[in-house]
Amino acid sequence: MNSNLSPSNSSRFEGCTLTGALSVLTEVRDAIAVIHGPAGCTHHNFSLLHATHLANDRLEAPRLLSTRLTENGIIFGGEDALEETLARAVSLSPAAVFVLSTCIVETIGDDVAAICAKHQEVPVIPVPTAGFLGGVFETGVRNALSSVASLAGPADEETLSANLVGEKNLEYGVEENAAEIVRLLSRIGIGVNLRFVRGIETRDIGRLGSAAVNILREPALRPVAEDLQRRFGTPYVDSFPAGLAGTCRFLEEVGRICGIDADAAVEEERAYQAEMLGAFDDIAGSRVSFQSPHPMLRGDPGAEAICTECAGALDLAVEEDGAAIPLPYPAPVGTAGLRRMLNRWRVLIREKQRG
Amino acid sequence: MKQIALYGKGGIGKSTTAANLSAALAGENLDILQIGCDPKHDSTRMLMHGTWIPTVLDLIRERGDENITVDDVVHRGFGGVRCVEAGGPEPGIGCAGRGIIATFQLLERLDALKGDVIVYDVLGDVVCGGFAMPMREGYAQEVYLVTSGELMSIYAANNIAKAIARLSRRVRSRCTLGGVICNAKNIEGEQELVEEFARRINSRLIAYIPRSRVVQVAELQKQTVVEYAPESDQAAVYQELARTIQRNETTSIPTPLEMDELESFALEFVQV
Repeated sequence: MNSNLSPSNSSRFEGCTLTGALSVLTEVRDAIAVIHGPAGCTHHNFSLLHATHLANDRLEAPRLLSTRLTENGIIFGGEDALEETLARAVSLSPAAVFVLSTCIVETIGDDVAAICAKHQEVPVIPVPTAGFLGGVFETGVRNALSSVASLAGPADEETLSANLVGEKNLEYGVEENAAEIVRLLSRIGIGVNLRFVRGIETRDIGRLGSAAVNILREPALRPVAEDLQRRFGTPYVDSFPAGLAGTCRFLEEVGRICGIDADAAVEEERAYQAEMLGAFDDIAGSRVSFQSPHPMLRGDPGAEAICTECAGALDLAVEEDGAAIPLPYPAPVGTAGLRRMLNRWRVLIREKQRG
Repeated sequence: MKQIALYGKGGIGKSTTAANLSAALAGENLDILQIGCDPKHDSTRMLMHGTWIPTVLDLIRERGDENITVDDVVHRGFGGVRCVEAGGPEPGIGCAGRGIIATFQLLERLDALKGDVIVYDVLGDVVCGGFAMPMREGYAQEVYLVTSGELMSIYAANNIAKAIARLSRRVRSRCTLGGVICNAKNIEGEQELVEEFARRINSRLIAYIPRSRVVQVAELQKQTVVEYAPESDQAAVYQELARTIQRNETTSIPTPLEMDELESFALEFVQV
């Protein structure tokens, strides 16, 4: 039964579970995703993913196959169509096949897992993605991450490195955010073991258990991290860093988990932040007013605190008639994210000053 | 054109009643269409002398719905009754309710829904929206509940009354309750019990069909009673039912009983 009656607060429009899962699974670049349902479910997601990939200079189309169910498939059951499409997927020699269900096939009760279990040639992994059961975009992301994790065998020797877990592959600044984490981790001598999941191949998943720490994109991914901790013993940090002090705390936390003294790194980062803020001296003392981006959109819960912190650091006055500044969603990542945010503030403040 | 639907608990004798009703109506020189709306597709079998006619959904599965004609789905049985079976998916897979909806859409497109009386014989429980299809969109205007005096059967009938009450609230709905048919199991005081149940749900008992061996004997001969023993008392009961339904102009919106009412009703009538 549907056990999730309360909407998640981790995403603004809650979203489609299937889309959330595909945002993860299409990043296993040598795998194919089979979507068991009407063609429209695939078309809609293909368009969204392809457009987003192109915006990130990834030219190849997402590898999606649809079982293209029609009314007769619903009446008589869609399992035959799934078997045919799976055979076709396997014939294309992918390294893995992910099989995603849709609302209608879960309604009529097609046994997707049983059909996946018939295949031995390559891993064929069912991913439950029927949104009407109470799931949202985030549920799809979590289910997909768990399904991909099932491909990882026992961990090799642990290395002093980190996994990035659950990057928001559809967000505009996904690469910049990852680069910021890489920069921060390098301050304490830690490299990235695996981007879980972005731009990887099926065989890379074998490295999943070898990291010293898992760094989650956001706290909503905790259940995935708990699962990984049970399986591989990997501790986790529950979010990418946000805010000036938050970014320093992130370094301390990762250092503590990895047994590294981060004091020097934190000092360096503070100096780097001061230099970054110094570049915005020209807007110091201006008046600003923070606005929710849209009445229907829930903001990032930490966004306002981060904006207030930056306003304090730049000596900005927060007043009702100040330059209208939208609260960011999601919250900017690390010091680099703040710099990009402050660049936008500068534009808005100057516009307001010009009248 | 009169369109009626028979609903009731599985195994209560809907199909036997429906087939004999259609046979008796045909005996009044009426053009009858009987549509079995149950994946078991055994509604019209006695009218067809034991032949399993191809179901609408079998034909759709084999040929696709573009290449089906009226003659493929409508088969003439005893007394010229035109017989249709909706059929369904294999047991345990797919969605039989959507199958009923698809069947109605096809029959509509083929212009097959015509005649003096259409009799819809529907799966025991209204398990989903699809099986309520015969009550919707102006198909059956009169629903007849078939029940015995057994409590499980009355409970099922009460549930169907809930569906009728719900659907009758819709603006375009023409669905009403035509009456209750008691298909007896030879329980003591059965007729009075079903009569009282009918009254309490704002309806009335329109026929009492006694239990009779001739029904089973006729079935073994793959015939309706009306055909096998036209002079029998049992055939006369079905003929009387046919005339009653044909003349019936008294229908109602049912007032189904709540669970506690149903339980206290049972206690009043069952001797312990």
